[in-house]
Amino acid sequence: MCVILLAAVSCRQRYDPPVISSGNTFLVVEANLNPQGLTSILLTRTGPLDRGSAIKPELNAQVSVEGMDNSSRLLSSIGNGRYNNINLGLTIGTEYRLHIKTSDGREYVSDYVKARKTPVIDSIGYELELKGLRVQAHAHDVTKQTRYYRWDFDETWEIHSPFPSNLIFDKTYLPYYIRTRKFPDEDVATCWKYGTSSSIVLANSTRLQDDIIYKAPVQFIENGSEKLSVRYSILLRQYALDKGAYNFYELMKKNTEEIGNIFSPQPSEIRGNINNVRDSKEYVLGYVTASTVEEQRKFIQVPWHFFMYCNITKVPAFNADSTLFYFGPGGSLIPFAYDEPPPKYSGSAPQCVDCTRRGGSTKKPSYW
Amino acid sequence: MRNLALLLILCISASADVKAQDVAAARINMNFVNVKPAVFFTELEKQAPCKFYYDIEKLDSVTVSLTASNMPLKDVLTEAFKGTDIHFSFDARNNVFITRGLTVVTDLPKNLFQPAQELATKNPNVDTVADYGLENRRTAKATPGKLIEVGKKGQGTGNVILTGYIRSAKTGEPLVNASVYTDSLHGTTTDIYGQYSLTITPGRRTLNVQSIGMKDTHVQLVVYSNGKLDVDIEDQIRVLKEVVISNRKTSNIRNVQMGVERLSIADIKNVPTVFGEADVLRVITSLPGVKTVGEASTGFNVRGGSTDQNLILFNEATIYNPSHFFGLFSAFNPEVIKDIQLYKSSIPAKFGGRLSSVLDISSREGNKKELTGSAGIGVVTSRIHLEGPIAKDKTSFILGARTTYANWLLNLLPDEYANSTATFQDVDLGITHSFDSSNHLYASFYYSHDRFSLGSDTLYSYSNRNGSIKWKHTFNNKFTGYLTAGIDEYQYDVTSKKNEVNAFKLGFDISQLHSKADFEYYVNSKHGFDFGVGTIRYKLNPGFFKPVGSQSLVVPDEIQTEQGLESNAYLTHRWNPNSKLSISSGLRYSMYNFLGPSTVSQYTPGAPVTESNRTGTKTYEKGKFIQNYYGPEVRFSARYAFTNSFSMKAAYNTLRQYIHLLSNTTIIAPTDIWKLSDPNIRPQLGEQVSLGFYKNFKSNTIETSAEVYYKKIKDYLDYKPGATLIMNHDIETDVVNTKGKAYGMEVMVKKPGGKLNGWVSYTYSRILLRAYDTTQGAVINGGDYYPANYDKPHDVTLAGNFRVNHRFSVSLNFNYSTGRPITLPIGRYVYAGAERVLYSDRNAYRIPDYYRTDLAMNIEGNHKVHQKTHNSWTIGFYNLLGRKNPYSVYFVTENGFIHGYKLSIFGSVIPFVNFNIRF
Repeated sequence: MCVILLAAVSCRQRYDPPVISSGNTFLVVEANLNPQGLTSILLTRTGPLDRGSAIKPELNAQVSVEGMDNSSRLLSSIGNGRYNNINLGLTIGTEYRLHIKTSDGREYVSDYVKARKTPVIDSIGYELELKGLRVQAHAHDVTKQTRYYRWDFDETWEIHSPFPSNLIFDKTYLPYYIRTRKFPDEDVATCWKYGTSSSIVLANSTRLQDDIIYKAPVQFIENGSEKLSVRYSILLRQYALDKGAYNFYELMKKNTEEIGNIFSPQPSEIRGNINNVRDSKEYVLGYVTASTVEEQRKFIQVPWHFFMYCNITKVPAFNADSTLFYFGPGGSLIPFAYDEPPPKYSGSAPQCVDCTRRGGSTKKPSYW
Repeated sequence: MRNLALLLILCISASADVKAQDVAAARINMNFVNVKPAVFFTELEKQAPCKFYYDIEKLDSVTVSLTASNMPLKDVLTEAFKGTDIHFSFDARNNVFITRGLTVVTDLPKNLFQPAQELATKNPNVDTVADYGLENRRTAKATPGKLIEVGKKGQGTGNVILTGYIRSAKTGEPLVNASVYTDSLHGTTTDIYGQYSLTITPGRRTLNVQSIGMKDTHVQLVVYSNGKLDVDIEDQIRVLKEVVISNRKTSNIRNVQMGVERLSIADIKNVPTVFGEADVLRVITSLPGVKTVGEASTGFNVRGGSTDQNLILFNEATIYNPSHFFGLFSAFNPEVIKDIQLYKSSIPAKFGGRLSSVLDISSREGNKKELTGSAGIGVVTSRIHLEGPIAKDKTSFILGARTTYANWLLNLLPDEYANSTATFQDVDLGITHSFDSSNHLYASFYYSHDRFSLGSDTLYSYSNRNGSIKWKHTFNNKFTGYLTAGIDEYQYDVTSKKNEVNAFKLGFDISQLHSKADFEYYVNSKHGFDFGVGTIRYKLNPGFFKPVGSQSLVVPDEIQTEQGLESNAYLTHRWNPNSKLSISSGLRYSMYNFLGPSTVSQYTPGAPVTESNRTGTKTYEKGKFIQNYYGPEVRFSARYAFTNSFSMKAAYNTLRQYIHLLSNTTIIAPTDIWKLSDPNIRPQLGEQVSLGFYKNFKSNTIETSAEVYYKKIKDYLDYKPGATLIMNHDIETDVVNTKGKAYGMEVMVKKPGGKLNGWVSYTYSRILLRAYDTTQGAVINGGDYYPANYDKPHDVTLAGNFRVNHRFSVSLNFNYSTGRPITLPIGRYVYAGAERVLYSDRNAYRIPDYYRTDLAMNIEGNHKVHQKTHNSWTIGFYNLLGRKNPYSVYFVTENGFIHGYKLSIFGSVIPFVNFNIRF
C-alpha cells in the first residue's frame, strides 16, 4: 500500500526484518505502587520478535515493597506473572521501592520513588472529528505539583444483533429441531464487549501557567467502529507521574508508537529505574511509580453510522434435512424468524444474529 | 576572426621580402567611387599578382573612392586608406594583409631570440602592433590573434610576471579556473575573479587560455618585463565535426590541493534530479566521499562528517539551512550559480569553523554588455533570472528568483493531509562594480523562505537572509587584497493553533556578523603567500515559546540568548621548489569567546552532567568573556608530479568547530537547533590525513584518482536516549560528547569532455562514534564504537552524459550504496497493555541496500547564435526502475501488535518535464 506523503510519492510497505534472536530474555516490570487501594504488578520476560511464541510471565518471584521508613510489605502471586496487594497503605510523601527476587535467585530493586497523590479527573469529554470521535480528559492540580499525567482505561460497549432472533436450533427438539428461544436466558440480541487501552496516553502542563490539562486526547474511535453503534462507556484511570517516569513513558511511546514519520527521531535505548542488585549491566526494563489512582466513568452515545453486511436466507420449514443442514452444527446460518406461506425460516450469518459470535457477552455489566 | 588567426600564422612563417617589393610596385589603373573594399581588393588582385587577406566585418563601414592610373600598388593602398586606421602589409609570398588599428608584421623581429635587453636596444622602433607596459597603467583588451608586446623594453631581467583578467568577450564575465600557460613549466589558473598571475621568461611566447565552454585561445606575445594583459575570449559555439585536440588539461595532476571537487553549472545541469530541477546539493552527493542519509534530506555528510560540519558559503555568506521543501530541493537557484567548489581534504587556511568540508558556491557576475535573462518552468517550481549592465562595462547586476506552486501536489495527499500547504521562495541579487582596473566591489544578497503545514494546524516556517559586500583591491601585480563584511541570519518558527488552550508559537534564530581581510602575495614562481584575519560575532536565540490567541494558557518561555566571538588569523606559504614538487603549508589560529550576559549552570566536576549533579548557576554580565577556547589549525598539502600525467599528493589538516547542530533525527529537520560552545559544551576538533594518486590517460582525456584518508573527530555531540532538544534550558544534560574515527578510500575515473562524458566512482568509507566519557552517565552502547547514522561503507556512483548530437543529449545516473545503519528490534515485550518492540544497541543493523537509476534527456532548440530566445526542454525519469528504496525501516505497535514497515520517499518512477527559455 503506497501512501502519498510529504508531497512526494513516498511509499510505505510491510517489512519483516531477518529474524534476529538475542538469545537472552530480560525481565520486564510494570508496576504502579498504589498507596491506597489495589496494587497489581506484572512481571514478564522479553520474547523473540516473531509472533509465534507467547510472552512468558515471570512466575514464583518474591515481590515486596520497601519504604525508606524501613517498612516492608509483601505482594502475593496470583499467577500469570501478576503479584497483588489489596492495600499497601503507603504514606503519601514517603519514598518506597520495589524489591524482586526471581526464582533463579537474582535480585532486583527499583530506585526509591515518592508516593504521590493523583488529582481527580475533572471530567471526560468528547469531540466528533472528521475521522471519528475523540475522547478527552480534563484535570487540574491547584497546587501545581503534578504537571505530568498518564492515563489508562477499560472500555465497555453495547452491541445489538442486526436480526434479533426468537428461534433457536435445538437438537433435542424433534422432529424439526427449531424451537422458540427462552428469554432472557437465550437472548443473543444484546451483548457487551470489553477492551483496555493499548497505547500510552500522556500529557503534561509544564509549559502552562497553571497545572491544567485541557482536552488531553485519551482515546480515538474511528468512524464505523461498532464501539459507538449503541452506547459506549470508558472507565478512565489517571496517574500522577514524576518527570523521570514521564520521560520513560514518553520514550517508550516514541520508540514504539510514533516511529516512522520522516522527522521522527531514531529509536533509542530505554531502561527505567530497576537494576539487578549485583550486576548493574543486566538489562531490566520498567519504571516503578507510586501514585494513587483516580477513576471516572463516562458514557457516550452519539448519532453513529455503523453497518454490518447481513444477508437473509430463506430455509423451508418443517424439513429436518434443511434445518439440520443450514442451522445444525457446522451449518452456516442461525434462524431468526418464521413466516408463511410457504412456511419458511429466515436465517442469517451467525454474527448477524448472535452477538456472542462477535466476541460479546450477554451478561449486562453492573454499571450499565 | 579565423582569417586573422590564419594570417598571423602565415606571417610568422614568412621570411624574405624581395618579391613583396615587386608586387608593391605593380602598376594599377582604376576609377572607383564609394565601392566596398571587397570589390576594390578583387580588382587589385586581378591587376597585380597578389592575394588580399582581410576581415570583412572589420571593414564593412569602409568605402573606397580612388582614381589611379599607372600608380604603384603600394601607393594605391596608401591613398585609398589615407586618414583611416586601416593598415596594410606585404609578405614574401605576395600576400597582402589588411588590418584595422594595427599593422601586421610579416617578418619576425630580427633579434627575437636574443635577450630582451639587447633586443630593446637594437630594435628601438615599434615593429609590432601595440605596447602595453605596466608603467603607463593601461590595461589592454587582447583579442586573440594579435601579436602583443608586454612590458617595457630594457626592463626585464630573469623572470617576469604577467597578470590580468580572463573574461568572456560576450558578457564581460570573469572566467574562473581558466588555464593560462605558455608551456608545461609556466602555467596557472585564474582565481574566482578571473584574475591570473603567471611567471614566465622574457621573449617570444604563445599565451594559451583554456576555459570550459569557451574557445581555446592563443595569444602571441613578445614579453620584455612585468606587464598586465587581459584576454577576452569567445564562447565556444559548437560546429559540426569539431575536433578538439588538447594535451594541457592537467589541472587535476598539477593542482597542489587534494580532495577538491569543482563543478560548473553546466556539469550540474547534466545530472538528472527529481522534478528535473538542476540541484547543486544533490549533485554534490554523487561525488566520491559525499553521502546523504536519504532522499528527503539536503544535508550531506563528507568523509564521515555530520551534516553540521560542512561550511556552506554562498558568495561568502554562511547558509544555515540549504534546503527547501523538506530537503527535496536545494535553496540555490541554478540560473545564477556559476560554479561550486567542495573542499573535503585540504581545506585552505582561509576557511575554518567547520570540521568536514567547505562548500563554496559562487554566483555569476551580471552581464556587463547587455540585458539578458532566462526563465524556466518545471512541475513544481518556476524560476527567472535577469542580468545586465547598470553602467556599461562598469557596473552590472544579476537577479534570480524562484517560487513554487506545489499546493496542487499536496491536494493529491490522503485526507489526513487535507489543508496542507507548502510554499517557498528564494531571491538572489548580485551587484558588481569596477571603479578601475584595480578596485572592484562585489555585493551579494540572498533570501529564502519556506512555509509548510501538513494536514495539521501546525505551521512550520524557516528563512535564510544574507548580505555581504566585498572590496577587492589590487595593490600591484603581485599583491591583492580583499575586504569582506556581511550579515547572515537564519530563523525558524512553528505555530500551532489546534488546541486553543495550548496554542503556541515556537521559534529559533541565529544571526552572525562577519568581517575579514584576505591578502594574496605572489612573490615569484617559487613562492607565494596568502594571509588574513577574520572575525565572526554570533548571536543566537536558542528558542522562545509563547502563547497564541487570548485563550492560550501557554507560559511564555525563552531560553537565554547566546553570544560568541570567533576570530582567526592565518598564513599560507605556497612553495614550488621545482617543477615536480609543490608544497602548501598553512597555519590558522582560531579563538572563540563565549560572551556574557549569561547564566551558566555548573555541575559537580567529574560527575555526569545531569540535573541531579547541578551545583548551581553563575551569572556573568554583558560583554564578559565567560569561556575562551583557542588553538592552532594546521593545513598542509604537498604534490609531487612524477610525470606530466602522474602525481602523488598528501595532506594533513586539523580543524576546530565552535558551533554545533543538535538533532536527534537523521536529517536536517526544520526544528533542529544550533548551539554555541559554552563552558559545558566543548568545541569539536577534527584531524585528517590523506594521500592520493592521480593519473591521466589518453592525452588527459581520462582522469583517474585514488585517495585514502583517516580522520579523527573529538567532542562531536550525540544525543542521549530520550533527549529533548527543543526548548531545553539545560541542553548539556541531554547530549554526550563522542569521539569519532572515519577512514576510507575513494576511487574515481572521470572523462570530463567529449561526446561521452561523466564519471564513475567507488567509495569505501566508515564512520564510527564512541561515547567515551564514562563520567557522562548514559553511555551509548556500553561505551563501544557504534556506526553513525550516515555510515554507508560501499558506494558506487555513475554519472554519465552522452551527446547524441548538438541538440540532443542523454544523461544517466546510477547510484548504489549500502543501507544506512538503524536500530533494529531484537525482541518484544508487553507494557501498558500492548506488545512493544525491544531495540538493539544503537545502529547495530542496516536497512536494505539502496540503488537507483535516473534518466534525463536534454533537447535544445536550434543553435543559431543570433536569435531572440533560446529554448530547451528537459524530460526525464527519476528512479527509472521504480524501485522502492527504503528510507527508513520502523516498527510500531498498532492495536496491540507489532508491525514492521519500510518507508520509501520515492516509491515509484517520477517523470518530469522542464522548459527553459533564455533571452
